[in-house]
Amino acid sequence: MPAPTPTPDRTSDAAMSRRSFLRGCAAFGGLTALAASLAPLRELGDFSSSEEFLQKYYKELTPEDMKKVLARIEREVQHQYGIRPHVRDLRPMDGVEFVYALNLTRCIGCRKCVHACVAENNQSRNPEIQYIRVLKMPHGSMDVEKGDHNYTDKSVPEKGFFYMPVQCQQCKNPPCVKVCPVNATWQEKDGITVIDYDWCIGCRYCEAACPYFARRFNFTKPEIPADRLNPNMAYLGNRPRKQGVMEKCHFCIQRTRAGKYPACLEVCPVGARKFGNILDPNSEVSYILREKRVFIQLKEEMGTSPRFFYYFDK
Amino acid sequence: MNPLHQQPEGGNGARTNYWLGGITAAFLGLGSFFVFSAASPPPPKPAAIPLVDKKFLDPSPWRQTYADLVKAKEDLSDYDCYACHEQKKPPVIRFDAAGKVLVPQEHANIVMGHGSHDRNNLCYNCHNEQNLTTLQVRDGNVVKFDNIPTLCGSCHGPTLRDWEAGAHGRTGGYWDRSQGAPQRLVCANCHNPHSPRIPTREPAPPPHLLHGNPATHEAAEPAH
Repeated sequence: MPAPTPTPDRTSDAAMSRRSFLRGCAAFGGLTALAASLAPLRELGDFSSSEEFLQKYYKELTPEDMKKVLARIEREVQHQYGIRPHVRDLRPMDGVEFVYALNLTRCIGCRKCVHACVAENNQSRNPEIQYIRVLKMPHGSMDVEKGDHNYTDKSVPEKGFFYMPVQCQQCKNPPCVKVCPVNATWQEKDGITVIDYDWCIGCRYCEAACPYFARRFNFTKPEIPADRLNPNMAYLGNRPRKQGVMEKCHFCIQRTRAGKYPACLEVCPVGARKFGNILDPNSEVSYILREKRVFIQLKEEMGTSPRFFYYFDK
Repeated sequence: MNPLHQQPEGGNGARTNYWLGGITAAFLGLGSFFVFSAASPPPPKPAAIPLVDKKFLDPSPWRQTYADLVKAKEDLSDYDCYACHEQKKPPVIRFDAAGKVLVPQEHANIVMGHGSHDRNNLCYNCHNEQNLTTLQVRDGNVVKFDNIPTLCGSCHGPTLRDWEAGAHGRTGGYWDRSQGAPQRLVCANCHNPHSPRIPTREPAPPPHLLHGNPATHEAAEPAH
């Protein structure tokens, strides 16, 4: 560049030229604009740690890796909620395939299952995330379009209606698994379709693919009061989720893979919910599918082949 | 001299200063606006949703049976029939004109509602008139108070069969018998023997939808 020739400018003797002053103003404006546009990131509180960011895919984790991952999750939960949880990685049991059966004759629509599920599985309380919806349906129809899950009756059941709780149907042919672009959700050999919350990218394809509206998305950071946190956790189950990941019913993996019944079943005041191992001929569900007169799979025509059966007593 | 090469004088310089001042003020104004908007508090959270009442999370049974009371060592005076009744003198059942049992004042807490159309309205269908501290099935066999399924199953056979298979009634505990025992309840844990129909009850609150519940016309967000 040729050396600048001194120009007979009125500001040439000033400390700052007009041009550099204007540049400074523009730079200041630009930087503050950038800062303002990034300001929403401040609300994002839980950035993933480098440890979590570099974590391998669930199925590639060695037992030692898994130990470290579980320790990290315990540390993070304790940091956030002040409670030391017990996080386990429970694997499917041999010779077990879970099936759920729900007696539509018995269900009174009290919604206790909905809230027991929220309490057991550490779902967000605000905004509310619930895995179970109880549909109030008029007698004589199985059309879910006629169902209402916002009913506000003072007492249930109401005459002329029946109640149908809907949750993840744990399909044998799950459409949600097929659409996941990163394999963050898959079907395990005991029939439970699980989600790796650390692998989910939050694209919500699975939510769109599910014909039962069983999957829920964490639009914001989940809010759980520390005194209602369930410290008995499983990696693929009820450990606290973060913003931007999917979640859904997993048949209470932290309970059922340890031999216990799911929380929604235990709280049901009328015994409408039945759960067990379909490969065991002496289990309740085997008896029900063998002996009871009618059972339906919801939206059977979709070809999803749910492991969740609805049946009637009479 | 070419007039085009003349240096502007006076008026033109003032206009430049005017523009310069304007641009500077605009940049500074924008900058300070961005600074303030970056420092402003995050947008307010949506309205608080009340936590669900813990009674809706309680998995304990509705009723306590005689066996439960014995186990918990609670007051059994309700089962001490011969504190009032006389031994070996079966109490007489009185009926009104329509053939309905008149429940005596001492037993006013009993609602006779077992079976529709009052088809099962005779106390001695289940109670043993010879010994009031026991029960009896229709073939005359005596059943103790802590053996309820045998008594109920003498009429409700299919239900007893379902219950034995685990298909009727509440369960809890372990589905995997090798890891623990399932928790089983008996008939009277849920059904009142005198009026066994499950009473209607208050449901837990409906979901709080992001944009209000259309059923209640509740608005979660203030109207815009």
